[in-house]
Amino acid sequence: MSDRNNRVPFDEDNYTHNINRNNERMLDRRGFMKTLAGAAGVFAISSLPWGAVAAKELLGLGEKEYPHQKIVNVKDIAIGDSVDFNFPSEHDSAILIRLSDKRYVAYQNACTHLRCPVYWVKEEKEMVCPCHHGKFDAGTGAPTAGPPRRPLPGIQVEVSNGGVYAVKVKRYEA
Amino acid sequence: MKKRLYIELENCIGCRSCLAACTQCGGHEQRNRNYVYDVNPHVNRQTMPLMCLHCENPACARSCPAQAIQIHESGAVLSALVEKCIGCQNCTIACPYGIPKFDEEQNLMYKCDLCIDRTKDGIPPMCASVCPSNTLQWLTEGEIEKKQEQHNLDNGKWVTSMPYLEGATNVKVNLPGILQGTEKLF
Repeated sequence: MSDRNNRVPFDEDNYTHNINRNNERMLDRRGFMKTLAGAAGVFAISSLPWGAVAAKELLGLGEKEYPHQKIVNVKDIAIGDSVDFNFPSEHDSAILIRLSDKRYVAYQNACTHLRCPVYWVKEEKEMVCPCHHGKFDAGTGAPTAGPPRRPLPGIQVEVSNGGVYAVKVKRYEA
Repeated sequence: MKKRLYIELENCIGCRSCLAACTQCGGHEQRNRNYVYDVNPHVNRQTMPLMCLHCENPACARSCPAQAIQIHESGAVLSALVEKCIGCQNCTIACPYGIPKFDEEQNLMYKCDLCIDRTKDGIPPMCASVCPSNTLQWLTEGEIEKKQEQHNLDNGKWVTSMPYLEGATNVKVNLPGILQGTEKLF
């Protein structure tokens, strides 16, 4: 090894220094950097669809109305009671609370902290998350205590023909 | 049939044909890549051509941080690759013969590449093909060996690379008397 660098002509075949045209590497340092930059470009471009999705949401094109879903009959829910249901899909658990005679509020009840199911505590008049004791204001869905920092996404409800119906989900506020 | 550039310095007559040929060669953009030097300026008229000597272990390529100077399989040390050269001018400093030249405008080194587009196909480089005095020759190894043999002629007065004097004739001619330092009456 000691005389390796003292031979003339220099006998070398490596990646870091090569001046023989026929030893040109398929992937030299510059090619590697180009590959890296190219991959970064590909990733950047492939993320554009998500940008389109976000733009669609922000431009209100996502104001999607789902088929109205009957939650409960008005006579089956007392004032101050709550009902669990699923809306818009069967995997999105939600909660309907009757605050007063005419006022119904509904929220998707996955806690905005770590998605535990938020439930309604009638005595305390607030929504509580069992996992870390996050609390939400029933009137607005805004967090009032504990780890969650974002409001629960509200669900618009309609009352017609003695039934309470879920209509659409208000956009989730990040 | 590998051929080499053979430079027979004593033949040079200083006509600068090699410079002109290099200047006018395609792709050289009116710039030559070789030199013709006065050997003893103001003392005598002897000149010598100097082009890249295409080292086995080229200092220019060794010093290049971007490895823009490559050695061709034929042994020619090529000019800087345009896409690699970073214009640092290390090669111009490293070369003991001052061969690499630098183009300030393009930020690019350029040097003699032994007309690789010609020599790779066995055509002599431009300078050698135009040299009128056989200073620059394009020879095979065998021919060069023959050139380097020495023949003593005329009782050790002359040394030539050939067993006979070039241009020797069978007719003997005397030198004019004036040159011999004698005056002839008839």
